[in-house]
Amino acid sequence: MLSEISSWRGAQYLDSGWLGPAFVVMLTAFILVNIRRAGKGKDLYIRRIAGLNAIDEAVGRATEMGRPVLMVPGLSDTVNAIVVQALNIFSYVSRIAARFSNPILICCYSAAIYTVGQEVIRDVYQQEGAGDKYDADSVRFISDRQFAFAAGVSGLILREKAAATFFMGEFYAESLIFAETANSIGAIQIASSTEATQTPFFIAACDYVLIGDEFYAASAYLTRQPVLVGSLVGQDWCKVAIAATFVLGALMNSIQLGPFHHKEVSEQRVDTVVQPLEQPRLMKVSDTFMYQLFNPQEDKELKIDRPQKPGAATPTAGEGGGE
Amino acid sequence: MNLFLQAQPQYNLWNAPSGTGELFLKMFIGLVIGIGLIFAFMAAPTQMRRPIVAAFTFLAGLFYVVLYFWPSPVNRGPSDLPRDFVESVSFTLEDAVNVVVPITNILSAFLLGLGIYSLFRIHFRKVVHAQKDWGFSVVLLVSMFLMIVFGYWDWLTTRGPNEILMENQANWGFANYGRDLLFNGLLQQMDAGMFSIIAFFILSAAYRAFRVRSVEATILLITALIMMLSLMGAVTYFVDSKVLGDPAPNSMLYNFTLTSVASWIKDTFQTSSLRGIDFGVGIGALAMGLRLWLSLEKQGGSN
Repeated sequence: MLSEISSWRGAQYLDSGWLGPAFVVMLTAFILVNIRRAGKGKDLYIRRIAGLNAIDEAVGRATEMGRPVLMVPGLSDTVNAIVVQALNIFSYVSRIAARFSNPILICCYSAAIYTVGQEVIRDVYQQEGAGDKYDADSVRFISDRQFAFAAGVSGLILREKAAATFFMGEFYAESLIFAETANSIGAIQIASSTEATQTPFFIAACDYVLIGDEFYAASAYLTRQPVLVGSLVGQDWCKVAIAATFVLGALMNSIQLGPFHHKEVSEQRVDTVVQPLEQPRLMKVSDTFMYQLFNPQEDKELKIDRPQKPGAATPTAGEGGGE
Repeated sequence: MNLFLQAQPQYNLWNAPSGTGELFLKMFIGLVIGIGLIFAFMAAPTQMRRPIVAAFTFLAGLFYVVLYFWPSPVNRGPSDLPRDFVESVSFTLEDAVNVVVPITNILSAFLLGLGIYSLFRIHFRKVVHAQKDWGFSVVLLVSMFLMIVFGYWDWLTTRGPNEILMENQANWGFANYGRDLLFNGLLQQMDAGMFSIIAFFILSAAYRAFRVRSVEATILLITALIMMLSLMGAVTYFVDSKVLGDPAPNSMLYNFTLTSVASWIKDTFQTSSLRGIDFGVGIGALAMGLRLWLSLEKQGGSN
């Protein structure tokens, strides 16, 4: 039982391993340190992102055509980090639209996003001194059912003849419906999905696509706020750390397993206890140090002896799983 | 008394049997407290609102941070007692999840009213002023009204002792058939219809994307062609068996079979690219979450 567990693996982190939480702390430190660096006025470089440079062009085109700019902050159920990021980008778009008195439409999938979106866009118009131009109906709640939302947004794109469309956030099967409908009326489209499965659809159908973390880089790129720029550089540090882990892991596994043929082992680890094997066998990936570091406990039914509540029916140790 | 411990399936402070007066009373008290909190926040001085929001955000986030970082108990049984301080805290955190998580749902329920009001206001005005396409607005308002009425009517008839009775269609009344027609008969079918449209959109998007316009587009076209052909049994049989002569798995030629090439593309390029994108998105979300939690993010994209 627990007394047999080697202490360096961390008995309390038996299920997940201590390495994961420690790594997250390190990544968090990278981001916070860089936010502090940027706050001190350190000049940090951001590479050019074509999709974000095209925002001004898209809004300008809509203004010339006298048609609205349509934005969809994804299909998140609640206001999460993805939605906040999408609204950050949309607030930049709305700011340009407000300067040119161009109509905008933001279609929301959930009432929570609608409420936050309305506040954000109203603030943007007020900051631009165009509070009187703000139309409360420009931020709309459509539906919280996926395909009812898809039908509603497609209908709006067609009826309002949007000149520019922005699809940013969590998108699923409806992504192509939006993109193709907007394409059918010749709208310029800038899109980004945090769902890797939907990115190819956007690439096939849209003019510009922000891939992966470019979506999170957008607000730093557009506003150059020190906090955001610092955070972005911190993210790059994190990616370097992760890439270094890959290289280190591959090297260590290759060395431990043997570069040309797998070594033989005469003992194996069963959960947390090392046991001798009846017959030596070739080393497997699950025998390596790196694998065991990330997977300290494989048996999810591992029994733990705990005292029981008074009057408990069957005082079986660790019974019932740990939900 | 550990209030969180009560958040177990049995009825306690946080819940009540379905359809009972106790449940409605608790819902009413919760509603009054919620509205009271909103008014109290609105009455707070403007300069105090940001620190209040920041404090609430920090506390709400702190719970999940502690939940993630505090060691979780291994295989906890329903009648287990904690063995030490670490387990005692982890047990409390685990029990508290059942109470903390529904708070998001409660807040969403408050906001749903605003969303419905927005829909109603836009479309009602359109109908009253007979603006362009007002007919669609009539359809939306009638559908919304009917769905709400039949939805709640059906819900009320299936609460309490009728819950099991209503599982048998023979006991259904007008409300239940009405909801079934609107929900399963119409809404679900229209959902399926919208979903089916994607097949045609894939075709039109693929036609545009796979045109030979540049080197990148040509690579995309060839890759997509190999992937599509590798999924067609007749084509893979013809290429692998008839053209390449069914090569042995350890022969050099085997690497050039359609299925091997497709697997190589998937394993070497697709999987690694997706992993890379996922890592980027994950780190981006971490940074964004951190800025929100610590209230470092200034909303509205202001400079």
